[in-house]
Amino acid sequence: MELFKPELGLSFWLLILFALLFIVAAKYVWPIILKSVDDRADLIDKGVGYAQEAQKQLASATENAQKLLNDAHRQQVEILQEAAQMKTRIIEEARSAASVEAKKVMDAAAQSIEQSRRAAEEQFRAEVSGFALQIAEKLVRKELSDDKKQKEIIDEMLKQIEKQN
Amino acid sequence: MYKLTNINKRFIILLVMLLVFPLTTLQASSHADEEEGLNVKELIFHHLLDSYEWELPCTEAKLPLPIIVRDYQGEWHIFSSARLAHGAEYEGFTITHEGDNSGKVVGIDADGNEYRPLDFSITKNVSEIMLATVIILTLLLSLARWYKKNPNKAPRKLFGGVELLIEMVYVEVIKPILGADAKRFAPYLLTIFFFIFTINLIGMVTVFPGGANLSGNIAVTLVLALLTFLVVNIFGTKHYWKDLFWPEVPMFMKFPLPIMPVIEVFGALTKPVALMIRLFANMMGGHMITLVLISLIFIFAALGQAVQTGTAVFSILFALFMGVLHLLICLIQAYVFTMLSTIFIGLAQIHGHKQEHKEKK
Repeated sequence: MELFKPELGLSFWLLILFALLFIVAAKYVWPIILKSVDDRADLIDKGVGYAQEAQKQLASATENAQKLLNDAHRQQVEILQEAAQMKTRIIEEARSAASVEAKKVMDAAAQSIEQSRRAAEEQFRAEVSGFALQIAEKLVRKELSDDKKQKEIIDEMLKQIEKQN
Repeated sequence: MYKLTNINKRFIILLVMLLVFPLTTLQASSHADEEEGLNVKELIFHHLLDSYEWELPCTEAKLPLPIIVRDYQGEWHIFSSARLAHGAEYEGFTITHEGDNSGKVVGIDADGNEYRPLDFSITKNVSEIMLATVIILTLLLSLARWYKKNPNKAPRKLFGGVELLIEMVYVEVIKPILGADAKRFAPYLLTIFFFIFTINLIGMVTVFPGGANLSGNIAVTLVLALLTFLVVNIFGTKHYWKDLFWPEVPMFMKFPLPIMPVIEVFGALTKPVALMIRLFANMMGGHMITLVLISLIFIFAALGQAVQTGTAVFSILFALFMGVLHLLICLIQAYVFTMLSTIFIGLAQIHGHKQEHKEKK
């Protein structure tokens, strides 16, 4: 069968032409194309890597920001609480200081009142005793005008003195 | 209303080309035989085999091609095939239609005996190979230039399609199978893939300048398989050769009777044969089935108009189906040839450490 009989001339030309094709392609085509394809694949891989990294970083950055925000919020609350505490403490202190001061003033006032009361009392006593002496003088003068009675009084006084001794 | 998209239109044009042109060429070539009836066998083989001239579509004229032969005295003769048309004789050569050399150029020596000269004619198949080489080189060189101009960019349209094929072969087949050796063998494997794919596709174009049954020609597949065989064995490693002639099997299997070496060597030789037969049979089968289906129309013409019309509809639909299938086979066979070549090369790239690994087992 001619169909299964390889032709020498055709084989020869095919060999020549294929060799030509291979040499040109191997020299000027495949190195360039394969390098480009590989380079581009590398570039794409790298790009994808970068994108993933960036996404990761973005996610962590967002997380960090959230954390910072939360911290700030907590600090704010703490500061506010502290301020409130301080306020009450200051008010408390002021109040106690005021009451101590007030007490001092009151005490001083009471003391001075007491002093002036005593002074007044003493003066009053001196006056009263003066009055009493004057009254007693007058009374004694009047009583001693009558002898009998005078004797009686003197006796009685003497007795009293005796008793006392 | 159904609107034809651009792709649909192109597809329909392609289908029409697939169908109409075989009809016109067949009709043209059957005109000559009309008087004595249609010789289907001759017609089919005429289209499957090589020829010294190229049929032009829609006309009886044929494009003559150069004939280059060496006569029995060692002298070279170069002349146009137009001089041998219609059985004419020129410089002692003629195209015979009988015997073993039917359809070939034969010479007549001094004693009047017919002999087959050394024939290096630029036949239809050879010019088709030239065309394929030019097409591939144009496409690939311009693609390479495009890559140089546009580094790190992805090509579109035609170049994108070519790159898809390159990726399909290089990234999906060569790299996974050959690994570190991929860069070394990729130029050969990619060239052979594009060569086979292109000649397959040119074979699908049934009019000038196409239509030669190139990859369905045993000489073509023989040379291609031989090239792969040479690449496999020239670049085979030391361990490959050791496995071939002194495989690691019990001693009685290789000495004194070299049973295993014989089997191994036989296996190495059947690999290129398998490559050759697979591509040849697939591509020739695709051409043959289209020819047979279309020929059916002319065979049934004898049974009357109605039968012929029915056969025509059936044949055309079926030929259309087979044509589309064959288009797919064009790609698949180029892919399979490349993949098997890659695997054979990979099998011959056994390195030391792998060997040690095997021994440990």
